[in-house]
Amino acid sequence: MGNYSQEQKNSLWWRLHLDWPLLLGLVTLIGLGLFVLYSASGESSAMLNRQFVRISLALVVMFVLAQIPPDVYMRWAPLFFFSGLLMLIAVLVVGDVGKGAQRWLDLGVIRFQPSEIMKLAVPLMVARYISQHPLPPSFKHLCVGAAIAIGPTLLIAKQPDLGTSLLVAASGIFALFLAGMSWRLVAAAGGLVAAFIPLLWFFLMRDYQRQRVLTLLNPESDPLGAGYHIIQSKIAIGSGGFTGKGWLQGTQSQLDFLPERHTDFIFAVFAEEFGFIGVVLLMCLYFYIIGRGLFIATQAQTAFGRLLAGCIILTFFVYVFVNIGMVSGLLPVVGVPLPLVSYGGTSIVTLMAGFGILMSVHTHKRLYAQ
Amino acid sequence: MNSKANKHGLFIHWRFVLVMAVVCLVFTALVSRAAYIQVIAPDMLIEQGDLRSIRTKTGYAERGVITDRLGNELAVSVPVRAVWADPKHVADQHSFENKEAWVALAKVLDTDVDSLQQRVSNPKRRFVYLQRQVSAAVAGYVEKLKIKGVYLKPESRRFYPTGEVSAHLVGFTNIDDNGLEGIERSYDDWLTGEPGKRKVRKDRLGRVVEDLAVIHQAKQAQNIALSIDQRIQAIAYRELKKAVADTQATSGSVVVLDIDTGEVLAMANSPSFNPNNRNEFQSYRYRNRAITDSYEPGSTVKPLSVIAALERDHIGATSMINTNPGWMQIGGRRVRDSRNYGEISLTKVIQKSSNVATSQLALKVGVEGMLDTFYDVGFGNDSGLGLVGESGGQMPQRRRWSDFELATLSFGYGLMVTPLQLAQAYATMGSGGVFRPTSIIKLQQAATGERVFEQNKAQAVLEMMESVIQDGGTGQKAAVPGYRVAGKTGTSRKAVRGGYGDDYVAIFAGVAPVSNPKLAIAVFVNEPKNDRYYGGDVAAPVFSKVMQGGLQYLNVAPDDNNSKVVQLNGGSNGNT
Repeated sequence: MGNYSQEQKNSLWWRLHLDWPLLLGLVTLIGLGLFVLYSASGESSAMLNRQFVRISLALVVMFVLAQIPPDVYMRWAPLFFFSGLLMLIAVLVVGDVGKGAQRWLDLGVIRFQPSEIMKLAVPLMVARYISQHPLPPSFKHLCVGAAIAIGPTLLIAKQPDLGTSLLVAASGIFALFLAGMSWRLVAAAGGLVAAFIPLLWFFLMRDYQRQRVLTLLNPESDPLGAGYHIIQSKIAIGSGGFTGKGWLQGTQSQLDFLPERHTDFIFAVFAEEFGFIGVVLLMCLYFYIIGRGLFIATQAQTAFGRLLAGCIILTFFVYVFVNIGMVSGLLPVVGVPLPLVSYGGTSIVTLMAGFGILMSVHTHKRLYAQ
Repeated sequence: MNSKANKHGLFIHWRFVLVMAVVCLVFTALVSRAAYIQVIAPDMLIEQGDLRSIRTKTGYAERGVITDRLGNELAVSVPVRAVWADPKHVADQHSFENKEAWVALAKVLDTDVDSLQQRVSNPKRRFVYLQRQVSAAVAGYVEKLKIKGVYLKPESRRFYPTGEVSAHLVGFTNIDDNGLEGIERSYDDWLTGEPGKRKVRKDRLGRVVEDLAVIHQAKQAQNIALSIDQRIQAIAYRELKKAVADTQATSGSVVVLDIDTGEVLAMANSPSFNPNNRNEFQSYRYRNRAITDSYEPGSTVKPLSVIAALERDHIGATSMINTNPGWMQIGGRRVRDSRNYGEISLTKVIQKSSNVATSQLALKVGVEGMLDTFYDVGFGNDSGLGLVGESGGQMPQRRRWSDFELATLSFGYGLMVTPLQLAQAYATMGSGGVFRPTSIIKLQQAATGERVFEQNKAQAVLEMMESVIQDGGTGQKAAVPGYRVAGKTGTSRKAVRGGYGDDYVAIFAGVAPVSNPKLAIAVFVNEPKNDRYYGGDVAAPVFSKVMQGGLQYLNVAPDDNNSKVVQLNGGSNGNT
C-alpha cells in the first residue's frame, strides 16, 4: 500500500492498534443503543447497568483482540474452530434448555452459547483454509471451505437457533464469495439454495418456523397468535410517523403491547420514538460502520486479512438486515438481535470481538508495508 | 505468499464493489420500508396504535337531590353496589372449582347456586348482573369471598324519606336511575348529572397510564327545591287518607296553592304507594290524580258564574234573583233546586247553591261569556307545572248550544277540570282576580299574574262565599277557627255511559283568610260510598284541617275577630 504516512503510523491510535473512525462509529452506536434501551426496558436502570457492564467487557475484549496480529489468529484458527465445534456437540448432549431450545453450555462459572463463538471461528477457519491455497480457489477447496461453514451451521440449526445458524452460514459463504468463487459457481450455489428451499420447508424447518414464514406473508391472518409480533411491531414503527413520539413517549412499546421490546424488537421502539428521521440516522450510522469495515477489508494486505475482515463486516451487515427486515415485516421472525443496540450479553461481546479482529487486521499492516 | 499477486487482483476488487452495491441496495430497501411504514402509510398504523391504547373512560355522576321548599329531603341517592360477573373470566380462571364460595355467594344473594352458575355459564358474555343495589354489608361479604370473575361496581339507590306522603309528586326512578314518574321523570335531565368523559391511554393490561384529555366535562347533577311545604303536604296527605278511608271512597286528591305566588304548597293523593318498595305494582295507586284526573266540578263553579254575570254588568252585587218555584223549565228539560228558596240575594245563591239562580245568570251571560270566564281561570289548559301526564281537563266544544246545556255549565256540568285547575281558579278569585301560572318548583319571585276579574267584583264574590261556611251554608264543616274562610261545596254526579250514575264526586274548594287570602285549597273525594256523599260532609272537613295547618305553619295572622278563644289557640299551636 505504502500510502500511509509515517505520521499516521506513529499516531497514538496506530500504536494502540485502534481504528478511530470505526471506533467512533461503534461508540456512537452503543451510546445511542443505551438511550433506546433505557426507554425500551421501561426505564429500568438495573437493566441499563448490566448492559453497561457488558459493554465495558466487550470494549476490553475488542481492545485486547486488536493487539493480537492477524497471523496469530491464522495460527490459532483451527484450535479455536475445533474446540468450538466440540462445544456445539456438547451443547446438543448436555446443554441447558432455555425458551424451548438447547443453546446454553453451563461451565459452572458462566453460561454461554458456543454458537456465538462459531460466528467468529467459522470465518477465521474458512479464511485460513482458502488463503492457504492459490486464489481463486479451486472447486475442491471451495467445497471444503463450504463444508467448514455448513458443519457448525447444521449443528446450530439443530439446537434449534435459526438466527445464529443463518449468521454462521452467511459468514462462511461470504468468505468463499470474496475469495473469488467463479460466477458459474455462484449461480450454481444460488440454484442449489433455491432447490434447497422446498427441502428446508418440508424436512428441516420446525412447525414454529414454518408458522413464522406464513405469518410474515399474512400477519393479519392470526393477529392474536403468530401474527401478534409483526403486527404490533409494524404498528409501533408506523405510529412513530415522520418525527417520532419522542424519547420515552412511545405508546406501543412503553405500554407493553410490543413483545421482546428490549431485545430483538428494540428497533420498533426506536422507530416509534424517533420516527423516520431517527431511522434514517440509525441506518446512516450502520452504513458508515459497514462502509468503514469494507474499506478496511479492501485495504488488507493479506488474503487472510481481507477475507476475514470482509466476513466479519458482512456478518454484521446480515445482522442489521435480518433484524430490521424482521422487525419491519420484510423477513420472517428469526431471533437475531439488533447489533450493538439490543439487550443481551453474548452477542455484544462477540460483535465487539469481531471488530477487535478487524482493527487488528487494519493496524498491523506496517509489518508488510516496509 | 500470494498476497502480492492478489493485492491488486482486479476481480477481487470489484467483487468488493459488488458487495458494496448490494449493501447500498439493502440499506435503500430498509430505508424505503421504513419510509413506507412511517411516512406513506403511517396514518393507519398510528390509528391502530391509538386504537390499541386510547380509551374513553366514563366517570360516575350521582343523581341530584329533591327537596321541599324548606330543604327537607324528598328524594336522595344512597351509594350501594352491584354484584356482577364476567363469565369469560369465570370460565378462564376455573372459578367454579371454588364451590364453597359460590354456595356462600348464592346464599347471601338469596338465590340457589345452580341458577346463579347457570347465569354466568356462557363464556362468550362479558357482563352479567348477579344482583343490583346490594347493601354495604353484603358487598363487603361478597368482596371477601374473592370469587374469580365476580366483581362489584358502585351504583346508587334512590331513597324517598317521605315515603307515600309525596310519592305521586316526587315519583321514582328505575334501577338504572332513570326517572319514571313524577318530578323524577319530568326533571330527569336536570337531576341527572352527566358523568365526565376522559380520554385516557391504557396499557395492554388495561391500566390507565395517561390522561389525555377531558372529552366531556362532568356536569354536576342539579338539585331541585320543590315549591312543596312538606309540613302542609303531610297534613294534606294524612287528612285525605283518613277521609278516603272513612268514606270508602275510590280515591281523593288535595291541592294547596299559594295565592301570592302560584306555587303548589301541597299536592296529595290517596291511595298512595311506597316508592321505596315497589314490589307490588298496582297501577291505580301510581297516578298523580291531582293533575291527571279530571272531574265535573259541579257547584264549585257557581262563584265563577256569578262573577261572569257581575263582570258583564248583567247584575249588581246587591241584585236579587227570583228562584220561584224552585225549578225552571228550559227547553224540554228542567233545572231544580233542592227546595224553593224564593227571591234571594247573590250571597244566598252561593250559600244555598241554587241551580235555578245560576242558570238564569248563565242565560244572561251567554255561552261565550261563560266559556271565557272558565278559560280565564285556566280551565281547559295545561296549568304549566311541567309534570308528565298532566291533563288540561275538558271544555265543551260544540257548534250549537241549547239553553239547557248553557244552564248546566253554570252549575258545573258539561266541563271537566282537574283538582289543580279548580284550586287555580279559586286562587284567581282569592287574589282579587289575578290569574297566576302555577309552579311546582320553588320560585325566587312570584310569577307575574294577569288580571282577569275586577278586584272589587272578585272580592264581592269572596265575601258571598264566606256565607257557605257560616250558619245555613252547605260547607260549615270547612270552617277554620280564627280565620275567615271563603269556599264552595260541590257534589257532582259521576257521568257514566249514557247519562249519570249513582256515584258522586265530593268537592270543596276555597281560600283563606278572606281579608287577605293566602292559600287556595281544592279537595276532591271520588266516589264516597257512605250515605254522606256531599262535598260539605266529605271534602269540607279535609279542607278545614289542611287550611288550618297550612295557615298556622305559614304564620298567617288570624282575621276572624269574632272567636277570640280560638284565635289564641291558632297563634300558639303549630303542630296539629
